[in-house]
Amino acid sequence: MKTRFDGLRILVVEDEYLVASLIQDILEMAGCVVSGPIPRLTEAVDAAKVDACDAAVLDVNLGGNRVFPVAEVLSHRHIPFIFVTGYGGGNLPEEHHSRPTLRKPFRNDELLNAISALINPAV
Amino acid sequence: MLSDLPIVGIGASAGGVEALEAFFRSVPDDNGLAFVVVTHLSPDRKSMLAEILGRATHMPVVDAQNDQEVEAEHVYVLPPGAILTISNGRLQLRHTGPGHERAPIDVFFNSLAEDQAEYAIGVVLSGGGSDGTLGLKAIKENGGLTVAQGTNVTRPRFVEMPASAIAAGFVDLELPVEHIAERIIAYVRDWGSFDPERPSDALTQIYEVLGARTGHDFNEYKERTFQRRVQRRMQVVQITKLAEYAERLQQQPEEVSALFRDLLIGVTDFFRDMAAFEALENSVIPHLFEDKTADDEIRVWVAGCSTGEEAYSIAILLREQLERRSSPPRIQIFATDIDEAALAMARAARYPATIVNSVTPERLQRYFVDEAGSYRLVKELRDMCIFSVHSIIRDPPFSRLDLISCRNLLIYLKSALQAQIIPLFHYSLRAGGYLFLGPSENVTRYSELFSIIDRRSRLFRRRDLVSRPPLPLRQFTPQSRQDLPSRDSAQSGLLQRSDALRRIAATIVEHFAPTYVIVDEGGQALYFSSGTGKYLQAAAGPPSRDLVAMARPGLRNDLRAALQNAKSSGRRVVRDRIAVQINGGIQMISVAVEPISADKEIVYGVVFADRGPVQAENEHPAGSPRENDGTVDQIEKELQETRERLQSTIEELETANEEFRSSNEELLSVNEELQSTNEELETSKEELQSVNEELQTVNSELSTKIEELDRANADLYNLFESTGVATVFLDRYLVIRSFTPAVRVLFNLLPSDRGRPLTDIVARFVYRDLEKDMRSVLEDGIPVERSVSLADGGGHYLARIVPYHAVGGTIDGVLLTFVDVTHLVAAEEQQRVLTAELSHRVKNTLAVVASIAERTLPDGVVKIDFLGRLHALGHTHDLLAEGNWTETRLSDVINAELALHMTNGGANLSLNGPPVLLKPQAALFLTLAIHELATNAAKYGALSVPEGRVEIRWQIAAASPPRLELTWLEHGGPKVDGMGKPGFGTELIERGLRFELQGEAKFELVDGCLQCRMMIPADPDRLVFVSPTEQPEQEEQPHEDKIRRAQNPGG
Repeated sequence: MKTRFDGLRILVVEDEYLVASLIQDILEMAGCVVSGPIPRLTEAVDAAKVDACDAAVLDVNLGGNRVFPVAEVLSHRHIPFIFVTGYGGGNLPEEHHSRPTLRKPFRNDELLNAISALINPAV
Repeated sequence: MLSDLPIVGIGASAGGVEALEAFFRSVPDDNGLAFVVVTHLSPDRKSMLAEILGRATHMPVVDAQNDQEVEAEHVYVLPPGAILTISNGRLQLRHTGPGHERAPIDVFFNSLAEDQAEYAIGVVLSGGGSDGTLGLKAIKENGGLTVAQGTNVTRPRFVEMPASAIAAGFVDLELPVEHIAERIIAYVRDWGSFDPERPSDALTQIYEVLGARTGHDFNEYKERTFQRRVQRRMQVVQITKLAEYAERLQQQPEEVSALFRDLLIGVTDFFRDMAAFEALENSVIPHLFEDKTADDEIRVWVAGCSTGEEAYSIAILLREQLERRSSPPRIQIFATDIDEAALAMARAARYPATIVNSVTPERLQRYFVDEAGSYRLVKELRDMCIFSVHSIIRDPPFSRLDLISCRNLLIYLKSALQAQIIPLFHYSLRAGGYLFLGPSENVTRYSELFSIIDRRSRLFRRRDLVSRPPLPLRQFTPQSRQDLPSRDSAQSGLLQRSDALRRIAATIVEHFAPTYVIVDEGGQALYFSSGTGKYLQAAAGPPSRDLVAMARPGLRNDLRAALQNAKSSGRRVVRDRIAVQINGGIQMISVAVEPISADKEIVYGVVFADRGPVQAENEHPAGSPRENDGTVDQIEKELQETRERLQSTIEELETANEEFRSSNEELLSVNEELQSTNEELETSKEELQSVNEELQTVNSELSTKIEELDRANADLYNLFESTGVATVFLDRYLVIRSFTPAVRVLFNLLPSDRGRPLTDIVARFVYRDLEKDMRSVLEDGIPVERSVSLADGGGHYLARIVPYHAVGGTIDGVLLTFVDVTHLVAAEEQQRVLTAELSHRVKNTLAVVASIAERTLPDGVVKIDFLGRLHALGHTHDLLAEGNWTETRLSDVINAELALHMTNGGANLSLNGPPVLLKPQAALFLTLAIHELATNAAKYGALSVPEGRVEIRWQIAAASPPRLELTWLEHGGPKVDGMGKPGFGTELIERGLRFELQGEAKFELVDGCLQCRMMIPADPDRLVFVSPTEQPEQEEQPHEDKIRRAQNPGG
């Protein structure tokens, strides 16, 4: 498992401290380098523009704001990402329908599998 | 100042809006002209003209401003209540107040002419009255171009204004409105074809033709003006090449005279030739008043008066002289011209402000009324002058005149006509009357008729003892007009000195007249003609002049009777067939006695005439009478009777004559009255016209307004019909004015209910205080808003009652609107249900999680900690659900968390701080933080011992943004030596605070007791503060209010 993620840089955008630190813990234990976690939208957008990450985990709701501007920037840069959300399905806008989405609460391996699918689409 | 920018002044009045639109549509964008539009406007109404014209052209159209510089390709419009002039290329706007300027076009054109000279272009479009005519005259005089809207192709709606200008002869181009712009631009463009530095051959040729045909050398003429006038004529005859025009002049003498007339157009002005008028004032006017009493009249004739300046100048001089006399005579000035349009202007007696250059300030003050931009003669002067159409050539002249002024008219007439007119003046003037001519006119050829008073000023006086050639009376009949010019001037050759005539007459009288004696009333002889010896002889005794005594025998009785008879009857008496003894013979003679009045005295002429040859003395008594006894007596008797009949007929005739004469006098005075009435009517007519004018303009604007109103009404109607907002308009007595169809759901309203009080109408909804609320709105104007539901529960409405503001802001009723909020109410209800369901689900889930933990976790610290945290979250969820997931109070959050640890009725806890509202995320985070602190205190700190106490205080620190500073202080707990390794709680507080709320947490030990300080910046998304000063009442206020205040910390 470890070798799969070794040194992989993941951008985490999540505003709830406990959830954010959980994600950070899971990823770091799997060998990833976590960029963030970033709780606020504006900072997240700024980071998305420049951060040399390989993939990203985006919480859909950031203190009342939607994370989609960040998603847009990442799409432009062809950086793969997954959404994490407490909402049910059908809450994503049209252009993000096909993105992988993790529903809260999620298990550790669900997150890691999703990341794995992002960076090795063929597997 | 003369710029190179041609300025087009456009005057229009009634019907002018369409003409102006048509004009501006035909103006190309790149035209190099400036336009100034002057119309007749009512002073107290806003004009939409600029807006209307703005749609017809791409050029900027603006209301004229004072001191605005005129720029090319701009359109300036005269705003209402003002008059416009131009000076140095800048517009001068003067507000006129409530008074009404009746000739704003003339005012502007006059100043335009003066300011811009040949760069001025005047255009007169549709309108009534004659405004603009005088202005065009000024423009033409100053070398500019004048244009009027013609009636060919398209007609102006009101032809009067352009027709007046055309009739007055001041218009160069008469064009349909669509072609005016094109021709003006062509005219301006052609300016380039003249090179003033090098006069072309063609121009020289024109000078020569003019010189040859008219005898005037125009080389002295101002060259620029000369060129412009030539160019203008070229425009009129549509010739573009100067050489072609010169050719035309050669061929057509009419064109020469047309050009000549254009060149000669002079400025008529008050006291034109000041020196001549001074001479008139000093050498003539005082003499006119000599020997005149209040019963007399001074009669003056101003022939060719044009627009009246000359007539009024003379009137002013006469008036001034009049005021120096104690019993002044009446003054009558007859001012005549053949130009009806000019006379109308003369009657109106309104002149442009430029007259200040020629009239002294004293006279201006005394005889003129300033009518906002123009000057009008006072009535006393206008009443002195009667203006009438009269041709000096065609119509009979005036008579018994004291002064004739005929200036600058004769120069236009050929000498043959002058030869008729000057004797006519001689006829018209009374003995010693005066003649006043223009500077280039003279009567030197007729010095037998007029003597010179002042050669320089052309003042002449009538010679009385001359025989004037008989006036050709025939010429005054209309039939003879045509042959006028053919009458040669041979008549002037017949003029003879009267002395010679008198000598010839005397000789004839001497040779052919009968013998006569002139006697006085007493019969004393005053004068004997030659040859009286035949009838008279010296009487015996001392010399006597008694005619009867001198009579020869036989004549004496008849002579005495005849004299007596003539004296008593005052008429001629003739005695026939008187037999007189003459030197031994009998001579039959007749005697006539004629009363002659001379110098208030009556003398009698006694005329003797022979009848037949002398007869022998003896024959007479015996022969002839006897022979004739029968027939002669009979005939004489008949003759006598016939004479008497004749006499009575003559007397009747004379009486009739007398009556005719008095009738005639009456007619004359009636005529004069009629004339003055006519004057007045003429003036009234003009006033009416201008009022009419104004009405036309107002009317056309009104129709536009009505159209707009109709459109607005239709819009409103459609809005009413389509709007779902039920609206009722009520007046101040709550009577229905109108309503929208949607109201029928709420009230049983029919269209016929308009005019009924709304309170009479059954409402379908529950709103008990409706009437009270409406009255309160009527009273204080504060809108009222209520939710109402239909009585059957089938709908919910938001009822708004707002004041209806009439024009001027007063409350003139109320407006009742009902917005259907049925769906909104339903949605709100659904949301409420959903929120409750959500809270229930969350709490249930927490309960399920708690139960799973209870069952699956082994008993111990971990389980207790976990369940404690879970419960803390549950409490905060409760609080948030109560606040409908908007926000909750900080104190409530803390209280809920510490409730578990309270002992002695809460003596171990103290909370102190201003109200602070927390958004859900902040509330949840702080719940966890307080929970961790409280759990820690309960395990190791102040809450683990009975005497321990926890103090929680918070405050809002002024910073940008303001900051919440919350301090957790433990007192009296077991002493702790060090902080130890940070656990989950510390980490959560320190990192979580920074992460979620961007705050900071600090842990310290004070006297071995834990102290935690948290600093959290305000953030509208997470937590909001309420200003401490507003605390007491804020506690009771609903949430919305707090949010509002928090978002405006400054207020």
